[in-house]
Amino acid sequence: MAAVPLTESAAAGQVRPAPLSLFAGLKWHLLVSRWRAANGASRAGMIVLLVVVALVLAAAVLGLCLLRRIPDVAPLAISGVFATLLVAWVLGPMIAFGVDETVDPQRFALLPLRTSNLQRGLLVSSLVGYLPIANAVVLVGAAIGMSSNWAVLPLALLCSALQLMTCVVFSRAASTAMASLMSSRRGRDLGMLIGFAVLALYLVLNVVLNSGSGLAGGAAKVAQVLSWTPPGSLASLPYLVTTGQWARVVVAAVIAVAFLAVGWWWWRRALVTSLTRGTSETEGSAPSRGLLNADAVGGSLSGTTRLVAGRVLTLMWRDPMRRMPWLLSLLMAIVWPLLVFRFSGAVYGCALGALLFGTQAGGMYAWEGSGLWLHMVAFGDRTRARAEVLGNLLVVTLPAVLLLMLSVGVVAAIRDDWANVPGALGLCLGLLFGAAGAAAVASAYLPYAMPQSRKSMFVSSVPGQKGRTARATIGTMLGGVVLALPTVVLVILAIAVSPVFGWAALAVAVVSAPIVLVLSSRIAAAKYLNSAPEILQLVSAGDRV
Amino acid sequence: MLVAHPECGKVGAMSGPDFGAPAPGSQPPSATSAPQGAEPSAGSLPAYPAAAPSDPRTAQQALALRDLTKTFGDKVAVDHVNLDVPAGSFFGLVGPNGAGKTTTLSMVSGLLVPTAGRIFVDGVDVWADPAAAKARMGVLPEGLRLFERLSGAELLSYLGRLRGLPADVVNQRATSLLDVLDLSDAGDKLVADYSTGMRKKITLAAALLHSPPLLLLDEPLEAVDPVSARTIRTVLTQYRQAGGTVIFSSHVMALVEELCTHVAVMAAGRIVAAGELATVRGSAASLDDAFFHLVGGQERHTEGLSWLQSR
Repeated sequence: MAAVPLTESAAAGQVRPAPLSLFAGLKWHLLVSRWRAANGASRAGMIVLLVVVALVLAAAVLGLCLLRRIPDVAPLAISGVFATLLVAWVLGPMIAFGVDETVDPQRFALLPLRTSNLQRGLLVSSLVGYLPIANAVVLVGAAIGMSSNWAVLPLALLCSALQLMTCVVFSRAASTAMASLMSSRRGRDLGMLIGFAVLALYLVLNVVLNSGSGLAGGAAKVAQVLSWTPPGSLASLPYLVTTGQWARVVVAAVIAVAFLAVGWWWWRRALVTSLTRGTSETEGSAPSRGLLNADAVGGSLSGTTRLVAGRVLTLMWRDPMRRMPWLLSLLMAIVWPLLVFRFSGAVYGCALGALLFGTQAGGMYAWEGSGLWLHMVAFGDRTRARAEVLGNLLVVTLPAVLLLMLSVGVVAAIRDDWANVPGALGLCLGLLFGAAGAAAVASAYLPYAMPQSRKSMFVSSVPGQKGRTARATIGTMLGGVVLALPTVVLVILAIAVSPVFGWAALAVAVVSAPIVLVLSSRIAAAKYLNSAPEILQLVSAGDRV
Repeated sequence: MLVAHPECGKVGAMSGPDFGAPAPGSQPPSATSAPQGAEPSAGSLPAYPAAAPSDPRTAQQALALRDLTKTFGDKVAVDHVNLDVPAGSFFGLVGPNGAGKTTTLSMVSGLLVPTAGRIFVDGVDVWADPAAAKARMGVLPEGLRLFERLSGAELLSYLGRLRGLPADVVNQRATSLLDVLDLSDAGDKLVADYSTGMRKKITLAAALLHSPPLLLLDEPLEAVDPVSARTIRTVLTQYRQAGGTVIFSSHVMALVEELCTHVAVMAAGRIVAAGELATVRGSAASLDDAFFHLVGGQERHTEGLSWLQSR
């Protein structure tokens, strides 16, 4: 096996440097075993994915190659590409930590390895994998795009290779420095926050860039600044050589190489720190401020509802995995309609946000993983079971109603679309309560586990339950639309026949909301009482992920 | 689905074939000992087939298992277990890994549906009248999460009020429990940041909060530091002196020998011996030896490891 040379050298009582091929082999085994572990269906999926990625890569490479026809623009454009790649490499591990087992240097802590040996080995293993290969392909395209004159192609290829090294070194340095942080709960929370910030930034940038004037000028200015940064220096070196700007060539070369050296040094220091100092898992808990509804007492329907709602609200606020979808839904409710609809009727676009808000009520028995047992041993009566569902539903729907009123108001004001507001509000309320009701029922009838490690905001299901999770999610969405059908029909009439139907839609939504709440809580509670042990079994799978 | 066993009422026939030693507390039920709160409460499980939710004949026992069985596919995890735990006892459930201890305790605490058989807590059938049975139990399971992002104090406050205790009573009890269990300083910390010992202690506090007559503890002292272990033992001893019944599972024989008045030995899903500690130990030098022979352990030869040396 791959580890044999290491143990042999240890047994001999001396530390011989482990060959770099060992690290490459280790990474290769990890990749291959993932393929081996996959069954037929997921292998087919992987192949389809690989083909799609290859096509996308081919398009990207072609685009980059074409840049060599416009040598004035090429350095600026490729500066942007290089800078984006670097940022993606550094932020990637923070958003989805734990994807690559070789990222965590702690796994090597017990092997007899010198830091320099380990660092070179990790560099080699970082270069083996789908992502580095895809990057290398793109960078070859960039090298061709940078060389308007074929004579500088070797230099351009060298710059691309250095760019890949810089990306890997900084990514590893950052993730090693963050390793202790990411192994703690607060660090992972921070990672999710960063992931969300990137997503939000992307959406907002989209709106800004789409909103009209000055895009080209602004982009050019940004690229000008970027060309002085380390990735920009690498991207513009071939162009500077071609045009004979030798002073700038020297400056760019120094910036690029010095940056790489700093990254290498930072990585070395982070490795030493992480291998010699243990992580502290129990550090850093901020003192809590107490539960909401601290006077509510269980037993009656209203008392238990208030009590459960207080807990859910508190946990929702403290748990990034629950907080993020709210922010995302709010973005979808306000930004998305503005982005997509440029005409009267934009307010109806808020309906997507309403549907997403409603789905937040889903998986209510799964949020705390096996923590569900605390409820199971505390009560077994119908009243409390119904109150639990009701508490969850109210925590989702009440704030969502306020946020949807806000978003409909904002969109109506910006697009001057006040005539459609009653219909839009009706549609939003119908979909919100419909989706929330369907989500509650799905929680009990199609429970699925949620990952409890909160490592990534993009992971929402656990291995072996992906189909179940998908069924529950799609079922919730469809159920939401079906329950909202009366309002949907009235809204269509409002658009096609007369705006008066908009008011009817609002009235129907307001009347049907409490009916949906009561019925869905009854159905979900009855199922929970009948099958709580089975639900516990399923949702406990989330503990291990 | 659950099937009520026809033999479930035979309380007098305590020393069945599964028992290596006669179970204690097997006296016939007396009519005078009125089972407190054995009347069915609202909200029983509709799926349970027409079983009587209580059985006064088992009311004298803190816990009575009747032909309790659990199968997972072909594997029989718990095999027709009959057991009586007398009220006021400190009852140890011991057995090797995979013997079915956790499965049994999970079924008793309502976390796992039995394949067959019945469970009576204070005479109340756990699976026919769960609401009444759950009020009589405090549970500390092994390896399950808590509401991780609540603080210890918040967790106790929430669970106490969920059980219907007034807020001021809950606060008063929570404060004294946190104090006794040496968690006062950590009361504001999130449970997610607790150590193993602290987690066991806060779960124990949650189990004691409503002052139940029966405590079910699955490996309460596993992976707990000696200081916390001592605290937990002190609290449990005091609880028992006040009339409570403790059932706990453990691998550590010395601990069982020190704490328990009664013990049941499980192996391969069956009870191989049960009764008062001295009876089960019999003529063996220690409970450890008795246990080793009861579960059919064999001494391993270690000659093959002669190469194991530092030089």
